[in-house]
Amino acid sequence: MEKDEIRIAVMRIEGTNCEDESVKAFKALGVYAETVHLKQFYSDFIKEEEMRTIWDYSCIVFPGGFSAGDYVRAGVIFSARLKSVLRKDLEEFIKEGYPVLGICNGFQILVELGALPGFDEDRPIADKPEMALSINDSNRFECRPTFLKHENKGKCIFTRRLKREIVVFPVAHAEGKVTFPMGREEEYLNTLKENDQIVFRYVDKDGNYAGYPWNPNGSYYNIAGICNVKGNVFGLMPHPERAIWKWQLYSDIDLLVENDFWELEGNNEADGLAIFRSIVEYLLKF
Amino acid sequence: MSVYKRANTPFELYEIDILNADDETLKRISEELGLNLSINEMKIIQDYFKKKGRNPYDIELQALGQAWSEHCCYKSSKYYLKQYLFGINSDYVISTKDDAGVVEFDDEYAYVVALESHNHPSAIEPYGGAATGIGGILRDVLCMGAQPIALIDPLFFGNLDIEHSTLPKGVKHPVYLLSGVVAGIRDYGNRVGIPTVAGMVFFDESYLTNCLVNVGCVGIVKKEKVIPSKAGGEGDIFILAGGATGRDGIHGVTFASAELSEKSEEERSAVQLGNPIMKEPLIHACLEIVESGLLTGMKDLGGGGLSCAVGEMAFSAGYGAEIWLEKVHLKERNMKPWEIWVSESQERMLLTVKPKDVDDVLYIFKKWDVPARVIGVVKGDKILRVYYKGYLIYEMDIEFVTSGVEYCRVYKKPETVEREEIRDIGNYKKILLKMLSHPNIASKEWIIRQYDHEVRASTVLKPLQGRIGREGHGDSAVVKPVDDSWKGIAITADVNPWMTKIDPFWGSASAFDEMVRNLVAVNSIPHSFADCLNFGNPEKPERMWEFVESVRAIGWMAKNYPLPCVSGNVSFYNESPYGSVAPTPTLMGIGIVEDIRRVITMYFKKRGSAIVVIGETNHEFGGSLYSVITGLKSSNVPKTNPEKLKNYASNLLDAFKRFKIYSCHDISEGGLAVALAEMAISSNIGFDVNLSFVELFSESNTRWVVEVSKRDANKLVEFFTDNSLKAKVIGFTDSELNYGSFSITIDEAEKSFKTGLSKYLG
Repeated sequence: MEKDEIRIAVMRIEGTNCEDESVKAFKALGVYAETVHLKQFYSDFIKEEEMRTIWDYSCIVFPGGFSAGDYVRAGVIFSARLKSVLRKDLEEFIKEGYPVLGICNGFQILVELGALPGFDEDRPIADKPEMALSINDSNRFECRPTFLKHENKGKCIFTRRLKREIVVFPVAHAEGKVTFPMGREEEYLNTLKENDQIVFRYVDKDGNYAGYPWNPNGSYYNIAGICNVKGNVFGLMPHPERAIWKWQLYSDIDLLVENDFWELEGNNEADGLAIFRSIVEYLLKF
Repeated sequence: MSVYKRANTPFELYEIDILNADDETLKRISEELGLNLSINEMKIIQDYFKKKGRNPYDIELQALGQAWSEHCCYKSSKYYLKQYLFGINSDYVISTKDDAGVVEFDDEYAYVVALESHNHPSAIEPYGGAATGIGGILRDVLCMGAQPIALIDPLFFGNLDIEHSTLPKGVKHPVYLLSGVVAGIRDYGNRVGIPTVAGMVFFDESYLTNCLVNVGCVGIVKKEKVIPSKAGGEGDIFILAGGATGRDGIHGVTFASAELSEKSEEERSAVQLGNPIMKEPLIHACLEIVESGLLTGMKDLGGGGLSCAVGEMAFSAGYGAEIWLEKVHLKERNMKPWEIWVSESQERMLLTVKPKDVDDVLYIFKKWDVPARVIGVVKGDKILRVYYKGYLIYEMDIEFVTSGVEYCRVYKKPETVEREEIRDIGNYKKILLKMLSHPNIASKEWIIRQYDHEVRASTVLKPLQGRIGREGHGDSAVVKPVDDSWKGIAITADVNPWMTKIDPFWGSASAFDEMVRNLVAVNSIPHSFADCLNFGNPEKPERMWEFVESVRAIGWMAKNYPLPCVSGNVSFYNESPYGSVAPTPTLMGIGIVEDIRRVITMYFKKRGSAIVVIGETNHEFGGSLYSVITGLKSSNVPKTNPEKLKNYASNLLDAFKRFKIYSCHDISEGGLAVALAEMAISSNIGFDVNLSFVELFSESNTRWVVEVSKRDANKLVEFFTDNSLKAKVIGFTDSELNYGSFSITIDEAEKSFKTGLSKYLG
């Protein structure tokens, strides 16, 4: 597809709150992106010029936030509403190979929806959730920078333009602990590994797998982000849209040591932008 | 015979016989209706209704109770605020009259500043009180048409180590209050998606029975889109949008205008309930309506609810209003008309729009699932009339209700004894470790990490800075509000109540000095400030003296710096039978960063660079951390001078352009000893200096410590001395904390710093 044909939808309902910065990340790469309220897909009173179908878009993004307040369990309410109005369309969309990205609350939504871990290529949305993002081991909301090791061998279309093995994206969540069905953790892990579905794992500043606070939530196997078996649905707890420019990371010395911090002008780009660039590159070849 | 006579209406409405009431009866009416008005005020009302030739209805007296409360009309503070603080306008200040101050940011944009207290509700119900404090301050910024971009939370509690058995009756433990307040701010702020970027947490015994929860917010708006907090014009329609109106938060303002007591718990219903998931779409919907230009005026519903919002919108515009109260959508049945009128239920905004635009506005609210109703119309005469189910139940002159009363309260300097016990008792290492672990100094990471400080992805300098895993506190937060501009906004909140307690004048002047220091330290130009003045009972002359001294000092500093005060709030009655809070004038400073790629952080960057102290160190220990830790008293609160402060600030900002300055930190609590330790802990880079007792621990104002390349160090010092200012190389960055007469390992210092507060919170 041509660059000017690319249309990105950043989905919103009440309580999603990272949609603007997600749109900005795409706009920084010169592609069209807009926020779309779920209502615009089905409600009967919406003005015609504001009505949408999923096929108006080439990529769907579920942004961070607290959709519908997340009072039940993170992502449950948004995913239930999605199932009732968009499930079929979304399943078809994924089957056709269009990318779907979920960041933080978006990851939680994709998990609750059954789109991740997404083991079955023919049924990309499972009937019920197969994993959970449960409450952090600290039992608190945690907003902190994390070091992520990129471990995908090429399946995940969202990290193909990533230049470095270790990147720093911040997390900000209370429910981000990757949890698999009790007693079957190894089995799930092996399937993820075999399918090359593991994308990011939390590490410490030296690149070693480590516990809290480096692994901010107690995730199994230090998992921070995974993709589906096809590689076109990706969910991660850390926020790449908060790490697309170097100035977003000025507070953290580790990011500056390799630069001369006095010379911060010039190339302003940080690693998070590579996630969005990977989507655009993928669509250009789509 | 009862003074309350049921009116002949199909709903509950009472006529109150004040025409024939004597003083005692007037007092009783005020108490029984929860009006919290004085005899004198009740008499003014009596005269007004005598002239009208009728008795008032309950809703009319309730409205007056709200409008004339300390909280709404600033009756005790207005006189002194006008005398000392108002009118420091710069040509870049756009407005200071409305719910929030509006100040020019660049050619196209303005920033909006608001700062408020939510003390009384938080002392009773910390979670709900703090959450609705956030909700309220967001609405103050939103109603100017601005997108909120940052939240700021200065908090004040009693000492955390107090035994439960020694708590006065009805007082909640500070650990419970702190945990509840932090959770309330977290759950509201994080959910609405506005980053909490700055704040302060201060512990002192005077806050044991009255914790203080101050909340600030900064927003950004295109200058041409600023919405006035007043009604548009005659015939415009009032639309009430947002959450439903319920019985929560009735009498919130009158509750906040009296001292707390052990019975205050019974007034829990005065605390509102917050719902961030109504607020989040309300923000989006209001901003979409602002963008489409369909509004003529907007105001948030805060203290006093509809009664204050309608009155103030109409009054400021010079109009009247007619309201149809049955149109208001309710949370519960059988609410009495006066309850609907004064309810402080959250997440509500009042808009005025031209009749032709009503449908378009209602459509946008519907799209966002935000309930919105037409509830009235702007009238040409200056009278406010309220109808309920066709009955006229309220008719008063707007000016009489809204302009309120004003007092020139008497004040008296309390008897004090001058003391100077400070001496060098040695034991530096032990004292320094105690300082680092004092909850006022120790890492606030446990609190800060629970707030999302980077949602919106525009936070440049976060509240925690340094090497990942061992960060310390920055001097100011910096956000980048506009996409295609490198300009930034720096934000800080400051006050040292230990100093204001000893000397409200110099303590308040010191708060101003610290605010400027923090703004300058990150390379921002001080631009404006807001104040939240938290004091005790103003009817007591000694409390009033504290207030007047404080306002006088802030006014003196602000006028002569000069720096405009663009928004503010006064909170009196932070007092219980156990005593008053320390005078707490919280100042929120706003600075302009010319290029956010040039911000400066507080942690050391490399070994072998020079360390320079800018400013003059004198023997000033009044209210210092050294004094608190050692128990040696001093009345000598650090002095300052606005012209000198300005001179230092301008030269330092200039020096940032000329020299390779790697880091900069302001020197405040704990003096240079603590400032250096903080810079080292957060970077894992130590230093080698040689400091005297006074240099180590004095808290003299107008000082910074900077890290500069060795090559530039002497040039930097010369630059200051050439301008007749003081600067001195004190040493170099190195591997441990070496103060000359003693040294500490970084790990040892870090341990005290990291655990000082968290050990109480788990």
